[in-house]
Amino acid sequence: MRSRTPVGLAAVAVLVYAFLHLPILILVVFSFNASKFSAEWRGFTLEWYHRLLERTDVIHGLEISLIVAAISTVVSSVLGTLLALALARHRFRGRRAVEAFLYVPIVTPEIVVGISSLLLFALLGLPLGIATIVLAHVAFSLSFVVIVVRARLEGMDTSLEEAALILGADEITTFRRVTLPQLWPGVLAGALLGFILSFDDFLITSFVAGSGSSTLPLVVYGMARRNVEPSINAISTIILVVTTAVLYLAERVTRER
Amino acid sequence: MTEPRRRLLAWLQRRPAAQAWSLLGPGMLWLLLFFLIPLLIMAAYSVMPRGTYGGVQPGLTLEHYRRFFEPLYLAILRRTVIWSLGCTVVCLLLGYPVAYLVARAGRWRAVLLFLVVLPFWTSFLVRTFAMIFLLRDSGLVNTVLLRLGLIEAPLTLLYTPFAVLLGLVYGFLPFMILPIYASLEKLDPTLLEAAETLGATPMARFRRITLPLSLPGVVAGCFLVFIPAMGSFLTSDLLGGAKELMIGNLIQNQFAAARNWPFGSAASFVVTALVLVAVAAYLRVRDRAADQAG
Amino acid sequence: MGELRRGRISRREFVVRCVGMGLGLGTIGGLLAACGGREQAKPSATLASGDLGPIERELHIYNWSDYIAQDTVPNFEREFGVRVTYDTYESNEEMIAKLQAGATGYDIIVPTGYVVPVLVATGLIAPLHRKYLTNWGNVSPIFQNLPTDPGTVHTVPWQWGTSGVAYRRDKVSTTVDSWAVFFDRRLGGKMTMMDDAREVIGAMLRYRGHSLNSVDPAELARAKQDAIAAKPQLKAYISAPVKGQLVSGDVWIAQLWNGDTVQAQAEEPNVAYALPKEGCTIWNDSLCLPASARHPRAAHEFMNYILRPQVGAAISRATGYGTPNVAAAHLLEHPVAFPTEEELTRLEFPVDLGADTATWDQIWTEIKSA
Repeated sequence: MRSRTPVGLAAVAVLVYAFLHLPILILVVFSFNASKFSAEWRGFTLEWYHRLLERTDVIHGLEISLIVAAISTVVSSVLGTLLALALARHRFRGRRAVEAFLYVPIVTPEIVVGISSLLLFALLGLPLGIATIVLAHVAFSLSFVVIVVRARLEGMDTSLEEAALILGADEITTFRRVTLPQLWPGVLAGALLGFILSFDDFLITSFVAGSGSSTLPLVVYGMARRNVEPSINAISTIILVVTTAVLYLAERVTRER
Repeated sequence: MTEPRRRLLAWLQRRPAAQAWSLLGPGMLWLLLFFLIPLLIMAAYSVMPRGTYGGVQPGLTLEHYRRFFEPLYLAILRRTVIWSLGCTVVCLLLGYPVAYLVARAGRWRAVLLFLVVLPFWTSFLVRTFAMIFLLRDSGLVNTVLLRLGLIEAPLTLLYTPFAVLLGLVYGFLPFMILPIYASLEKLDPTLLEAAETLGATPMARFRRITLPLSLPGVVAGCFLVFIPAMGSFLTSDLLGGAKELMIGNLIQNQFAAARNWPFGSAASFVVTALVLVAVAAYLRVRDRAADQAG
Repeated sequence: MGELRRGRISRREFVVRCVGMGLGLGTIGGLLAACGGREQAKPSATLASGDLGPIERELHIYNWSDYIAQDTVPNFEREFGVRVTYDTYESNEEMIAKLQAGATGYDIIVPTGYVVPVLVATGLIAPLHRKYLTNWGNVSPIFQNLPTDPGTVHTVPWQWGTSGVAYRRDKVSTTVDSWAVFFDRRLGGKMTMMDDAREVIGAMLRYRGHSLNSVDPAELARAKQDAIAAKPQLKAYISAPVKGQLVSGDVWIAQLWNGDTVQAQAEEPNVAYALPKEGCTIWNDSLCLPASARHPRAAHEFMNYILRPQVGAAISRATGYGTPNVAAAHLLEHPVAFPTEEELTRLEFPVDLGADTATWDQIWTEIKSA
């Protein structure tokens, strides 16, 4: 008999999911509302979606955001996993210092990270653009990935790895065939976290983005702070729909393999 | 396997420290260049006098650090710590069940995980505005409650501490759920079954098997919520009506309207130092416990 | 491989190493910070002369968000054959911090008046070549030769506005004509002020008859007391986004800019606007040329372009704010009227507070912590 999740626990989980998605549902519904500010339903309209098509800045912002998030997620996942492995599996001088240092990016306020990164880039004479955004994004999301992967590593059974090594596999093969598959849920969780950190970042990006490399949050914040318009609901709805569709397709493809 | 690879591995095998640093190297280099050095520049700023028009003037002063320890600013720090702790606790209580559900969900795991993260593909501001829409006097919650006759006048939900907590928890839930999930996912259901057949109650099963296994994830989650929560500022502005200052707002103001970068960086370093002390203490305890365990 | 030994160092050694590392790294940081200091360009108080050469192919504009008409840039691009990159920011402070930290790549920025002297003093903007601004005659004299830019050397006025009180005349029975309304307990929980130190403290200073640029400690202390007295009646400190709640009726009285009020009025005609009798802020945003601009000729052509009456009118129609362009104002159906002589006596332009900015911030922190 499979031990089932206790009902109480499942109920709380379902409520939390509802809590997470209720604001999303609202913003989707109101992207079709024929009113700029009002809370009342004033009729169905696709006007805000039409307006989006004219807004090349929004579309361009989405492109930039996706590129930046994709690159920085891959980089921080790879570097972060390596770091987590080193910290969990090896002893070396300065280990605790490195661990403690990894918490600093998490605690440093975004504005400090943003301005100081800009100071550095200006000092180095780096032109502001996608590259500088990626450099900054990886720098602040690395720690998150390390911590998540680390949590996965701790308590992970090393007997399989030891067996592989005894049976003659070298370290690299062992890592690829034995460690990584076991580690994968942690790496995935860390990557997801890194992605949303990058995709949703506003403050740091506002300082290190250059002319013509405004990410989607920069564009959306502008639209929202001064002129709360349902167009921002529309773009969010589109993102949700596209993401869901892409991931659904990805799931189908991998399942067929 | 190829010859160069074998030579490299053999070389590495003899040097455990080199093994460690080859893994650490790339990540640490990145952090060193693009995080540590900027931070050091800021640290230097924090001990220089404020420039009249922003930025700094040449010189050395501890004035900014001294100023931060005045009661006005310490009160702000204290308030922020309490909020962050509250947010962490609520996130833990709400996030653990979700992580548990996802970890045990078998083939639905990917979908459930995706659903946790999906809301965060929209922008933070948009989600927050949706919450404002829910909570305000003429918002959805009040409208529904009024229609159902459960209340007579609209409840003040927006611009209250409740709204701020709600917003903080909402924003940080995945930071708690994902690490706990990563830990719990290793849980072998057969262990639980065995314990059940041996007569263990659900509570005992949880306490003796599940909880210890998930502990690294829980701790990681708590850090990943508490620490960035200390730096948050937009939530208390948008959902709290900007009536109170968190340390994040204070620091933000220093770089913005106050044009007092040195004070802003001094404040930020004091907070960083406090967190580091707490983290170092935790690491010390954890290492000692691990040593004792074997 | 299976053995995980933890390195252990003594506490004393740990501390010693930390201190050593800290000192070493701090020195490096200090050196870097010192290297970062740039040659400050000497601030100039006269218009630029000389030739800028032919118009470039590119232009990089950095403006407030939603502060232009949809067709302004495309029309300019088409007519002048210039490719425009248009980025936005949310606050003066964010823009100036970014420039002070060394960001380059922008050819036009749009600071509010009180920031201009700061930009000039730090050498971040350059004087303009008036000879390329052939439409200059359209600019109203009210917005020329301001204390923030004597001789109008560095700026081309873009839009202007006032910070008064927007209110729902169908919900509020009392006359709204004074800052005193924010002390009225009966309206408690239905009022908001802006989340802006200059606007809130400035309003309280004007309420007592002082200048909103005051740095007098006694006047500021009084303003602080007043602001703290008003706080319990306030629902929130919120700036432009309060429009939505004004329209929905959650908020009845809001300290708000006139342009935003006009936008709210479009959805809810019962929204009215008042300039308090004690006086309030009048501000103007202007186009400026960063010293690091790489396409100055294109920038000047754009500045001249928006001084055309039709273009200026289109911009104001889109933003709801006042146009400083007299010719454009004539073309508008519902222009935001230029301030009358009488009103001008009550309106005050904010100036930069220099070293006293820190004092004002301290007071704002205290108000927020009350």
